[in-house]
Amino acid sequence: MAREVISNGNGLVAKAAVECGCRFFGGYPLTPSSEIAHDTSVLLPQVGGHFIQMEDEIGGISVALGASMSGVKAMTATSGPGISLKSEQIGFSFITEVPLVIVNVMRGGPSTGLPTRVSQADIGQAKHPSHGDFASITLCPGSLEECYTETVRAFNLAEEYMTPVFLLLDETLGHMVGKAVLPDLEEVEKSIVNRKEYTGDPKDYRPYDAAPNTPAVLNPFFKGYHYHITGLHHGPTGFPTEDGKICEYNIERLVGKIKHADDLVEYEEFMLDDAEVCIIAYGSISRGAKEAVVKLRKEGIKAGLFRPTTIWPSPVQKLKEIGEKFDKIMVTELNMGQYLEEIQRVMRRDDFATLHKANGRPIAPVEMVAKVKEMM
Amino acid sequence: MSKIIKNLKQFSTSNDRFEGAHLLCPGCAHSIIVRELLNCTDDNLVIANATGCLEVCTAVYPHTSWDASWIHIGFENAATAASGAEAMYKTLKRKGRLKDPNKPVKFVAFGGDGATYDIGFQFLSGAVERGHDFTYICLDNEVYANTGGQRSSSTPRGASTTTTPAGRVSYGNKKYKKDMVAIMAAHGAPYVAQVAPNKWKDMVKKYQKALATKGPVYINAMSACTTEWKFPADKTIDISDMGTDSLVFPLYEIENGTKLTITYRPKNIVPVRDYLGVQGRFKHLFKKENEHVIEEMQKAVNEKWELLQRREEVGV
Repeated sequence: MAREVISNGNGLVAKAAVECGCRFFGGYPLTPSSEIAHDTSVLLPQVGGHFIQMEDEIGGISVALGASMSGVKAMTATSGPGISLKSEQIGFSFITEVPLVIVNVMRGGPSTGLPTRVSQADIGQAKHPSHGDFASITLCPGSLEECYTETVRAFNLAEEYMTPVFLLLDETLGHMVGKAVLPDLEEVEKSIVNRKEYTGDPKDYRPYDAAPNTPAVLNPFFKGYHYHITGLHHGPTGFPTEDGKICEYNIERLVGKIKHADDLVEYEEFMLDDAEVCIIAYGSISRGAKEAVVKLRKEGIKAGLFRPTTIWPSPVQKLKEIGEKFDKIMVTELNMGQYLEEIQRVMRRDDFATLHKANGRPIAPVEMVAKVKEMM
Repeated sequence: MSKIIKNLKQFSTSNDRFEGAHLLCPGCAHSIIVRELLNCTDDNLVIANATGCLEVCTAVYPHTSWDASWIHIGFENAATAASGAEAMYKTLKRKGRLKDPNKPVKFVAFGGDGATYDIGFQFLSGAVERGHDFTYICLDNEVYANTGGQRSSSTPRGASTTTTPAGRVSYGNKKYKKDMVAIMAAHGAPYVAQVAPNKWKDMVKKYQKALATKGPVYINAMSACTTEWKFPADKTIDISDMGTDSLVFPLYEIENGTKLTITYRPKNIVPVRDYLGVQGRFKHLFKKENEHVIEEMQKAVNEKWELLQRREEVGV
C-alpha cells in the first residue's frame, strides 16, 4: 500500500531521512532549507536519534561527519551560501570516505543573493564543491515524491560508496506543498543499504586497504577497531603518508569508485519515444517542461522531455544518444547555463535552443512553448 | 564631537538619521535601539550590518532607512567589515589623504544574536582582540528571527523555538544563555555594556560613552521580538520593562575588563515567572512537569544579580 501524505519538499526530505535510518542531523538554519532542520528536530528525538543545531555551517557539517564516523547515518542541510562555507569539510568527507548526505535547497546567488527565491545555480558547485580532485554524486529530484525517494537513494549511495552525496532541491520544490504518494515503509526498509563492516581480527584491520575503484571499509567507532582518520593523504591504516605511489593509488581509487560505478545514473524520459523535439530540464522546472510538452503536442508539435535525476556523474551515454537522435534540442534551467556546458561537452555540438533565467523567477510552460516554436 | 542634548525645538525639527518607514514588524525593538544610536551623535557614521532582520528590512530597493554609509556583508562578518573600513580610514588619515581629516568618523557594526553569539563569534573576537576603534551593537532578540525562529546560543533556557520545539519529549531549549558581555569584557575591551530600549536614557548615555571610547566597544541590546517571543505588538516596552525589572536583563557596564557598574536597580523586582508568563515562547513551562525550569531560571537570575552586585562592590 502506497502512502499518501500532504507535505512540502523539505518536510519529505526530513521524513525520508528518518524512515531510511538517518539518526543524526547537524546543521545551521539557512533559508530556504530551514524546514528540514525544523522537522528533523521534531522527528529524530522521537526515534532515539539526535538533532543538533550548531553555531555555524562549518560546525554543522563537522558534527554530522563526527556522528557518521561513529556509525550512524547522518545528514546536514543548507543552501548555496552554506555549501560555500562547508566546502572544506566536504573535501574532508571525500578523502576520508566518511559517508554523509548533504542537502542543498538552491536559492539565488552568488553570495547572499536571493534568499527566498528559486534557482538552480549550484549545479557547478555540486560538481566541484571543494579544492582537489573530486568526483561528486549529485541527485536532483523533480517532484514531491522524488524528494522522498531520492533522499533514500542518497543515503544508500553514501553508504555504498562511502562518500558525501549531494541532494539538490530548489526553493520551489522545498517549499511547494502538495500531495505525495510515497512508497510503503516496508518497501523502503527493504531497499536500505548499510555500509560494510570488517569483522576479522582487530589487529589485521586496514580500513583504507581497498581494491582499485572500491571504497574503504570504515568500522563504526567504539567497537574496538583502532584506526586513524585524517584529511592528509593516508595509507592502509589511515596514517598520513607522502609516498607517491600510495597517494596516486588512493586518489585514483577515490575518483574511480564513482566514475566506474554503473548504478548511479537515473533519469526520466517523458513522451520521448516518438518525439521530434527534445527538451532537457531537471528539478522543479522540469514540471513546467512536462506541461509544455503536453501543450506542444496538442498543437501538433511532437515534443518530449529528458530529465536527469542523477546530475553528477552525468548520464553520458544517454545524453550522447539524445544528441545523435534529435536535431532539435532545447535546454532550459534556472541559471546562466551550467548544465548546458556539460551537455555541450558530451554531445559535442552547440546548436541548442536555450532558455535560461537567473533572476529568482521560475520559467513558465508558455515560455518554453514559445521557445520550442521558434525552433520549428 | 558627540552632541550632548538637543532642545525640544531642535528635536522636533531635525530629521531622524534612521527613518521609520522600514519593514520591521510592528512592535520590533530593533528600530528603537538603532534610531537612538544614530540620533545620539552628529559624527559621520560608517555602519556595517550583518545579515539579519535589520539588514533585510531597512534597505529594500529603492528605499533605505539609513542616513549614513552602510555596508551589508555576510552573516558572520559585520565586525570584520568594520575593521577593514576603520583600518583603512586610519591609514588614509595618517597619509593626509582625507578631504576633511578633522571631521570625526565613527565605525559601528550591527548584528543580531545569531551573527554575534554564533556564526560571527570568531570574527568579533578577532576584531576586539586587534583593538579596532569601533562599536559593535548586538541586537539580542534571543532567536534567529529572520530565518524562521531557530534557537541561537543566546536563547534562554526553556524557550520553545523551531529547532528546540517544546512537546512530549522536551521542554524547549535546554541550554542557558551564553554570557556574551562577560566574554567581551574578558577580551579586555575598554567598554562593554548591556542596554534595553525601555531605559532609553541609560541606553543613549552608554551609546555616547561607547562612541567616545577609543578602541573596541561591545554593547548587548535587549531587543524584544513580538513575532518569536510571541506577545502583542503594543507590549514591546512593557515586556522590556519586565525584562529589566525581573533582572533577566540587568543593565550594567564594564570598563577595561574589570570595573563593573550597575546602571539600573529596579525598585520593585518582578519575579521571573511574571516575565515568562507574558510570552508565548514560555507557555509550556507553566505545565506541572516543566515548573522546575522556572524555579531554576529564577535561581540563576538571583545568582547572577548577586555576582554583579559583588563585582561592583569589590571593583573587579
